[in-house]
Amino acid sequence: MKLAVVAAGALLIGSALGPYDIDLFATAKAPAAQGHARLVFAQSPFGVAVTEDGHASYDVQITASSLPAPASLGRYTAYVVWVTSTDLSEWHRLGVVTNGTTTLGQAELNKFLLVITAEADSAATAHAGPTILHGTSPSGWLQSFLTHPLFRGIAQ
Amino acid sequence: MYRSLVVLALFGAVSVAEAQDPGMTVPRFDQKHGGSKSMHMIAHVVNHPGAWKAADIEMEQDPGRPYVYVCGFTNFDTQVYDVRDEAHPKLVYHWTIENPELHRGIGAMDGKYFKIGPKYYYVQSLQFMQGSPDADLGAVVFDVTGLPDSTKVKEVARIRYPEAPGGFHNIFAYKHSDGRVLLFTTVGETKALVYDLGKVVSDTNAADWLIGAVPNPTPFRQIGGGGYHDFYVGYDAATHQDKFYGAGLGGYSVWDVTHPESPTQLFTVTGLGFDIAHTFTPSPDGRYAVTETEYEYTPLRIWDLASAQHDSTQNLDLAISAWTADWRDLSHNHEVRWPYVFVSAYEDGMQVFDLKDPKNPHTDGWWYTCECTHGLGFGGNPNNGWQGTNSVEQGAFGVDVRNRDGLIVLSDMRTGLWLFRLDGFKGWNGHDYGMPNISSVQDYDHGPDGSPHAAGGGQ
Repeated sequence: MKLAVVAAGALLIGSALGPYDIDLFATAKAPAAQGHARLVFAQSPFGVAVTEDGHASYDVQITASSLPAPASLGRYTAYVVWVTSTDLSEWHRLGVVTNGTTTLGQAELNKFLLVITAEADSAATAHAGPTILHGTSPSGWLQSFLTHPLFRGIAQ
Repeated sequence: MYRSLVVLALFGAVSVAEAQDPGMTVPRFDQKHGGSKSMHMIAHVVNHPGAWKAADIEMEQDPGRPYVYVCGFTNFDTQVYDVRDEAHPKLVYHWTIENPELHRGIGAMDGKYFKIGPKYYYVQSLQFMQGSPDADLGAVVFDVTGLPDSTKVKEVARIRYPEAPGGFHNIFAYKHSDGRVLLFTTVGETKALVYDLGKVVSDTNAADWLIGAVPNPTPFRQIGGGGYHDFYVGYDAATHQDKFYGAGLGGYSVWDVTHPESPTQLFTVTGLGFDIAHTFTPSPDGRYAVTETEYEYTPLRIWDLASAQHDSTQNLDLAISAWTADWRDLSHNHEVRWPYVFVSAYEDGMQVFDLKDPKNPHTDGWWYTCECTHGLGFGGNPNNGWQGTNSVEQGAFGVDVRNRDGLIVLSDMRTGLWLFRLDGFKGWNGHDYGMPNISSVQDYDHGPDGSPHAAGGGQ
């Protein structure tokens, strides 16, 4: 089956949203939950905020709906937002989110996943509960130059 | 009844027109239930609750090792079934990628078992998209010697290839005539990779694992190139060469991989309609081959490779015959146990035809496993559950055959694991048909039949 081609095509299909938007996808734990995030440059006197080592620094504006009461999923009291590296080796807590729009900061990784988990403690500093919503930063969809379809025909 | 004998007007070659079971009409799509009298359904396991249940399938061959491995496709998992009691397959081991809900991609695609010394291993290929965790992960290797005790199954290695994120779609484990056990993998580059599995399971330095690459000489430049999609590797007892039969974007190619560090191209099979080459499986002696191209309405084609194997012909472009279960659909993977060809035929389920007369394929049995709505196959993207709107890519995905007793296992994307037996097929040994005893099944203890070291024992 040419699933590899299909999968590659899916990369390009993605969302119709812009380069600062992240679609959030529900998991089986709360399939009706919906969400969307928008990356907004963090406050900076220069307009574009960057870290000392040059990574963009974003506030994350999360709009969520149909999040069930955390306690309905188990012994949980809050939904906590995390930014993780794409290999899941680094996790940074952004804060607590509820239904409606919440702005949290800052996301400062080059490519990252946005993960919302149900947690027993709203002040949790390490993730332990189930994933409820998740999405990938627009930068995460950028392809390696070598594997871009346009360049596969070049002799190597 | 069903078998299509309608020749594909699209290709219209006269040589194709004489193949297939002539005079048969195709059934209505909603009448595809059950099977032929010759095919006996032994068991069916609905292995997952969702819309997509399985990709490829692998079955161990040795007596005392009744294990079947089901690749969980978009479920990102591997299931191992004990089929000692064929009517009641028992799930004995289950593995899933960590944090599966955060991964995106088509997941667990192809699996192969292999043996090195006294130990049995299973390698699971994986495909995760860029932006997902583990986009660089091609395969996970398990030591499965301790089955059926699941506590004794251990992950021993992960093969990563960050140069081309997207993982490995297909893999082929091969007992080389030089004694090594090799793994050929597809990758998102214009080549296939060759790993030394002996090093993978014992050498902690992953940089030593990759020992070679087989270039794709037929990149499909109109769509930007492309690598291999699938392949078969087999020993040619007549020429004493290990040969790689690759199918990829642009066509098919055959390579001498006797020295896998430096493959040598032998010949190609290209032509109109063959650009989306998918699978390429030769007869045990390399004389004939069955090929698949991956698009609706295309049949499996049968080739006489003699002029290219033994003469100076550099490229073949005319098949000698063709076969399809239903000309409106598409037949997928296949296993050749000459002269029988076992086909996982997507919407047409389990199919078997024979090449006793290679110019006139004859259907021997079938069982409809998909029971799905025609045309609503795989497609889309993970956001819509991979649901396509105009696709016949659903149903029977992979098939495997146990040579020692003829048990047939099949994985259906929509319905899961199936076990069958075919009347009159009690097992397979090439010698019974005047052929080398060579198929996709490897003799890990002795090496390929006909090779100088075939009796030398395992590594």
